[in-house]
Amino acid sequence: MTFRQRHLALPVAAAIVAGCLAPLAVLVAFSFYEVEDFELVPAFSFRAWGELAFSSTDWFLIGKAVLSGVATTVFTAILGYPVALALTRLAASGKGLAVIVLLTPLYTGEIVRIYAWRIVLGGEGLVNTLLQGVGLIDEPLKFLLFSPFTIALVLTYNNLPFMVLAIWVSAEMVDRRLIEAARDLGARPIDAFFRVIFPLTTPGLAAGSLTVFALSAGEMLTPSLLGGTSGSTAMALVDNLFGTAFDWPLASALALALLATLFLVASAMAGLLLRLKGARAVVGRV
Amino acid sequence: MEKRTEPALSPLLLAMRGIVKTFGRSTAVDGIDLDVPERAFLTLLGPSGCGKTTVLRMIAGFETPDAGDMRLDNTPLADVPPERRPVNTVFQSYALFPHLTVNDNVAFSLKLRGGVVDIAARVRRALDAVHMADFGDRYPHQLSGGQQQRVAVARSIIAEPRLLLLDEPLSALDRKMRGHLQIELKALQRRLGIAFVYVTHDQEEAFALSDIVVVMNKGRIAQKADPQTIYSRPADSFVADFIGNSTLVEGRIRERHGDRATIATALGDVTAPAADGLAAGDAAMLVIRPELLSTRGEGVATFTGSVGNSVFQGERSMIEAEVAGVSLRFAAEAPLAAGTPVALWLDADRSFITRIAA
Repeated sequence: MTFRQRHLALPVAAAIVAGCLAPLAVLVAFSFYEVEDFELVPAFSFRAWGELAFSSTDWFLIGKAVLSGVATTVFTAILGYPVALALTRLAASGKGLAVIVLLTPLYTGEIVRIYAWRIVLGGEGLVNTLLQGVGLIDEPLKFLLFSPFTIALVLTYNNLPFMVLAIWVSAEMVDRRLIEAARDLGARPIDAFFRVIFPLTTPGLAAGSLTVFALSAGEMLTPSLLGGTSGSTAMALVDNLFGTAFDWPLASALALALLATLFLVASAMAGLLLRLKGARAVVGRV
Repeated sequence: MEKRTEPALSPLLLAMRGIVKTFGRSTAVDGIDLDVPERAFLTLLGPSGCGKTTVLRMIAGFETPDAGDMRLDNTPLADVPPERRPVNTVFQSYALFPHLTVNDNVAFSLKLRGGVVDIAARVRRALDAVHMADFGDRYPHQLSGGQQQRVAVARSIIAEPRLLLLDEPLSALDRKMRGHLQIELKALQRRLGIAFVYVTHDQEEAFALSDIVVVMNKGRIAQKADPQTIYSRPADSFVADFIGNSTLVEGRIRERHGDRATIATALGDVTAPAADGLAAGDAAMLVIRPELLSTRGEGVATFTGSVGNSVFQGERSMIEAEVAGVSLRFAAEAPLAAGTPVALWLDADRSFITRIAA
């Protein structure tokens, strides 16, 4: 990139940094404030941080966010690879159609999808009715709705398109002749995948993982509305602290702690994936 | 299994019979028969789109023939996937794995097999064979085109295939490097004793390397012979046109006597060796190679005309003489001025009358 091209990126970069740092600075400031008679008072108090440090609930919820993000990332990656690789084999016209199909669920809006899932997974929902109809089960499956299973299923479903897109773009850049060369040299299709395709698509996997992790770890609506008793999240707690409980200092501290944790996990994930030989061959020369 | 009865010197390695391959509406390979003997250096030669690469890809197992039978060591190949064929390929683009070092690229097939103990030593030997032993720790992008090509060859011979396929392996290299590697490939083939099937559109390369040249045209085999025969007795006008700088003059057979025939052309009657099967009355093509025309000779000149274009090519010049509406190409030591009158003597005994290609 030339000197001048770099300068073109400056205004946007500045806006992104300012738009990110300013609210963060506000959060940091708030986390040291005090609340007196339902009023936020500027102060330099460690009350909120102290409360957070010893709250097992808060840390449990932060851990849950990490787990939820990592699990969703792993599930979407496992499901996304076959889909992404299948997409690379479509003709150009088929690819256009495939992208539309892939992204259509995203256009329906989260609330609509959540209520649709309730209809599909509920006690008298589509799945249970169908399974009872064919005689596979006698009683409706209870775990389908309002359970950790529901959260995992829906988060995976919601985030799959992002993972597929990221891996797909990476897979399109893998020279097909490399796969033929691998087969020619004795690799079964599964060997060719693990020795050639996977290493050379790790940049896409990294991009997809970061996106999916960020989206699913911070997800609040899906767990709240479909997770039942297991649906509590750190995000919902932050929402509650800012709103009903009017404890902005604690809300700020919790939000910052959550952000820092997710950032660390995401960096670790990206670092791990991009350290692989294949990624280094694609992204930066070894 | 039937006992084979081929001559001991050249047992049959690969046999293709009636192979057809179509892509959508276009027929890439239109019913070819091809035999590759053990230890042969066989070249598929033809213009782009003639089907030569498709033939190679079917042998490798990347394409499945629509019809026909293909056997390697008398074993049908139809249901054998690429990874289980004792065949390896040197790809046109080399297709080296960018994320692996030269050593790991070359060791790829041995590592997949499992149970190979002397991998390091064999990698070393394979790299030695292509003079790349000092580059084992490099990555492909750190190598020049010629070096990448050598690594691709080392990678493809390390598993000791029965047959090595080479898809225009030198086409991306400059002329000098190409010349070097041609000599090395030929020497390597002799030393290893592996049969090579080589694809190229460069007739000089084909002649320099091959024991057998198979000229392909529109998915069919136009001629299969040793290089000398292809050059001096092209099976039809397509082969004659594709090989070298010959002038092709259309005419009609006036008389046939034994191996020779007299053809009536715009240049007059010429008597020369003729392709089998050409009979009086047939349309045919007189093939005059540049080196058969001379500006010096005895008695009456065969043709007289004037100089048209001259192209300086270094050690010689290629000159076109306009004779009775035909541009006759011949070689001379220096370019000649356009319009100069010129008398040409034809070595008719070494020219050839061939069929007109379908």
